Amino acid sequence: MGLYSEEIRNITDKSMEQLFEFASQDEDQAEKIGYSNYSYWRSTWKSFLKNKVAVTLLILVLALVLFVLIQPYLPNQKSPTEIYLDPDTGYQARNVKPNDDFWFGTNSIGQDLWSRIWAGTRTSLFIGVVVAVVEAIIGITIGALWGYSRKLEGAITHVYNVFENIPTTIVLILMSLILRPSISTIIIAMCITGWVEMARFIRNQIVILRDREYNLASRTLGTPTSRIIMKNLLPYLISIIMLRMSLAIPFAIGSEVFLTYIGLGLPVSEPSLGNLINEGRVLMMSPDLRYQLLFPSIVLSFITISFYIIGNAFADAADPKNHV
Amino acid sequence: MIEYIGKRLLQSVVTLFIIVTAVFLLLRLLPEEGYLGAAADKMSPEQQEIYLTNLGLRDPILVQLGNFYVDLLKGDFGKSITYRTDVPVMDIISDKIMYSLTFGVAAVIVSILIGVPLGILMAQFKGRWLDRLGTGYIVFIVAVPSMVYFLLIQVYITDFFNLPMLFDEDRPITWLLPLISLSLGPIASYAMWMRRYMVDELNKDYIKLARAKGVKERTIMFRHVLRNAFIPLSQYLPATILLTITGSIYIESLYSIPGMGGLLVDAIQRQDNPLVQALVLIFSSLGIIGLFLGDVLMALVDPRIKFGKGESVR
Amino acid sequence: MKETKEKILSIQNLVIKFTLRGKVLTAIRDVSLDLYKGESLAIVGESGSGKSVLMKSIMGLLDKNGYIAQGQIFYQGEDLAQFKTEKDWLKIRGKEIAMVTQDPMTSLNPLKTIGKQIEEAVVLHQGLKGNEAYDKVLQLLRDVGIQDPERRYKQYPHEFSGGMRQRIVIAIAIACNPKILICDEPTTALDVTIQAQILNLLKTLQEKYQLTTIYITHDLGVVAKVADRVAVMYAGDVIEFGKTDEIFFNAKHPYTWALISSLPQLGEKGKELYSIKGTPPNLFKEIKGDAFAPRNPYALKIDFVETPPYFKVSDTHFAKTWLLHPNAPKVEPPEVLKKFFEEGRLYAHGG
Repeated sequence: MGLYSEEIRNITDKSMEQLFEFASQDEDQAEKIGYSNYSYWRSTWKSFLKNKVAVTLLILVLALVLFVLIQPYLPNQKSPTEIYLDPDTGYQARNVKPNDDFWFGTNSIGQDLWSRIWAGTRTSLFIGVVVAVVEAIIGITIGALWGYSRKLEGAITHVYNVFENIPTTIVLILMSLILRPSISTIIIAMCITGWVEMARFIRNQIVILRDREYNLASRTLGTPTSRIIMKNLLPYLISIIMLRMSLAIPFAIGSEVFLTYIGLGLPVSEPSLGNLINEGRVLMMSPDLRYQLLFPSIVLSFITISFYIIGNAFADAADPKNHV
Repeated sequence: MIEYIGKRLLQSVVTLFIIVTAVFLLLRLLPEEGYLGAAADKMSPEQQEIYLTNLGLRDPILVQLGNFYVDLLKGDFGKSITYRTDVPVMDIISDKIMYSLTFGVAAVIVSILIGVPLGILMAQFKGRWLDRLGTGYIVFIVAVPSMVYFLLIQVYITDFFNLPMLFDEDRPITWLLPLISLSLGPIASYAMWMRRYMVDELNKDYIKLARAKGVKERTIMFRHVLRNAFIPLSQYLPATILLTITGSIYIESLYSIPGMGGLLVDAIQRQDNPLVQALVLIFSSLGIIGLFLGDVLMALVDPRIKFGKGESVR
Repeated sequence: MKETKEKILSIQNLVIKFTLRGKVLTAIRDVSLDLYKGESLAIVGESGSGKSVLMKSIMGLLDKNGYIAQGQIFYQGEDLAQFKTEKDWLKIRGKEIAMVTQDPMTSLNPLKTIGKQIEEAVVLHQGLKGNEAYDKVLQLLRDVGIQDPERRYKQYPHEFSGGMRQRIVIAIAIACNPKILICDEPTTALDVTIQAQILNLLKTLQEKYQLTTIYITHDLGVVAKVADRVAVMYAGDVIEFGKTDEIFFNAKHPYTWALISSLPQLGEKGKELYSIKGTPPNLFKEIKGDAFAPRNPYALKIDFVETPPYFKVSDTHFAKTWLLHPNAPKVEPPEVLKKFFEEGRLYAHGG
């Protein structure tokens, strides 16, 4: 790319002369912008797929959920609540270590651990999912109102302050004390404390986005509100919503474990991961019986870690700043 | 600055008031057996009624609320039902506070000493193995319910190292595991927070100018970024201490440490309402107090608040 | 302006690329530029033309995903393009080349007194310590026009206005005792009334400290005020350069025409303001021919095929456009510009 030189002056034979004519002006070409063809959801999905860890975990979790749902219908499965008797002695088959008959062994009263663990997983997952969904609905509604309506803003802020500052643990305890332990109690208690985080996030985003310049710009261009919400606000919100929902599940399970420990959890007749871990805890002094603690712990750890990673990965993928 | 602290004080008091009232009302819903204790069987329903009325539990709600605040200001939380019958609740609690407080403070100190450097290293080696390892640790700690890994640690580590399981005031070796367990969570928090802060700050304009000035990267990291980090850090410090005390509920139970958290678990299991009440109120207030103290600390340290009229950049 | 023809910095055939999410973006596509001692050079261009990247590269401040793919940067006998370690660059940053950054609101550490921030540079580059350094800082504050320096030393950035903060940033740059001063859009973030003050300050300081200055700007008004020479950049290439008069009153590249035509002052009352259609090209793709061709109303067919070399307009004025080739048809700049050029020439030679 040097300076004009004699050589160039000499390259002027007939064929080259044509090149020095005016090129036709394509107005549309001029207006064409370099980048286009962007679809938010496609980009999100593609970004997510790039995270191999998250994708693997997602597949494994889905497999687990599927398994857990069909497990009772598979052949050779035992009942999670039935107390099994040792054929030789006629007494309860207590604390049997894992063997061919009882794949995960039995617990201290002779129940099959394998089926109990999967039943417990079902319960815990169920609680987690219900809590996540209900929390989301309540949280989004309140958060949206909080952020968008300037009238309700003050009142809701006060309500929020109260809920936010009472430690969740305390509320859970109180709820369980007041309402007697059961699945619905736990769900209600967790929803009451859980919607707060979601509402706050939603509200913050809406407040920021509502007044952001590109939204003002959209409004001045006459874009209908529904489209503003769909195209401008929703993409940001989805990532937060998905994140919170997926984090709600580990948290719900954790709360359940805590409550059971204190004695306010589910009754023993309803197996749940919390119960199982506590049963295992009681026996932890004897090394051979530790499998009763270990198996539920592993399952629980796997579920919680997976949801956490998947949730975060999805939130990262959904963040428009990370799109190509 | 005084203005700022004054405003925060007012806010905190109002919020505290609202919370305490709300908790109080909630506590009214506790099952009434909790006020009767062991004597319940021996009393006829009429006697129970009289007893409860004497405690003021049949008065209209607002009256109860009023009495409650009066008692509160006197420091009277009532008497324990089951724990040590008829002993004022405050006496019981004050015995235990030292344990929880000591563990809480110690855990926070350890967490900062380990967590903050870890976060710095993770930011510096972003993407490399140390960062990945640290992130793995954080994910585990945050995702898995603390109860689970507390248990696993207690069970397997004591076995492995042949340590006694329960806390014993006279044997320092038993202090180790509870302390470590209690610190695991805060370490993850501090590391995660620090890493994020460093990564964000290192991209800011004033850092770019410092580089253009010819300042070494290492100097930038310590003299600029790290120094600046202490301001937001100090804001959350008191709150962390107080929240760690709350979080020690599990640990105290597991290791039989005679602290406030364990007391709460006990009280619940025994259905000792006055005791539960007092503890719940204390725990609920700790959060607000911690936040307020943190704001004060930050006001003392952040020049933007000290010398400006601005609000803190929370 | 000093007429010394001594080259202080020489950029030769520089190519800078960035890796972005797996793809490669060529931000600087073969730029050659000389800087003469004592002069005031302005680099003009739209956002994305590469002007900031170019300046960052000569201080080793490219983002981590950027790298010099080809070319040399000659300074005092060394090729800066070969520098790899921080140690190498620390010889240059501040000491030889200093920068005044764009946004004074965010360029200062909010939690350190401004005195300390200036002192950091003084200690680093002037070898002074303690009281001597302190005195030097006070002197610098006076130099940049900040009154009552003793009191101001102890204050924090948030206690100053935008214009004052920019003066502080300038003080920091001067404190480094550099030979070359780069001003990256020094007035863009400031009020119009303050802009003139800051530019005057920079000119005064340039004379006082015998600096060679580079101004990066998209504002032709700034160029007119401070520059001896101008280089016009588009899509990572310098498409025209020359003395300020030559560029303003005898520009030859259609892009430069378009730039000057876009000045609101040239607009005629009642008529639509001139604007260039379209947007700059996608730098991820390889560009064939003249980058400006798709938007160029005067484009020749060869513009789409072959990148033009520099054509000489005068000893000091060169432009990369095929329109200057002898075979090219004679093209007149747009009407509105012709008038401007005429008036300019008259003004330069007459009044």
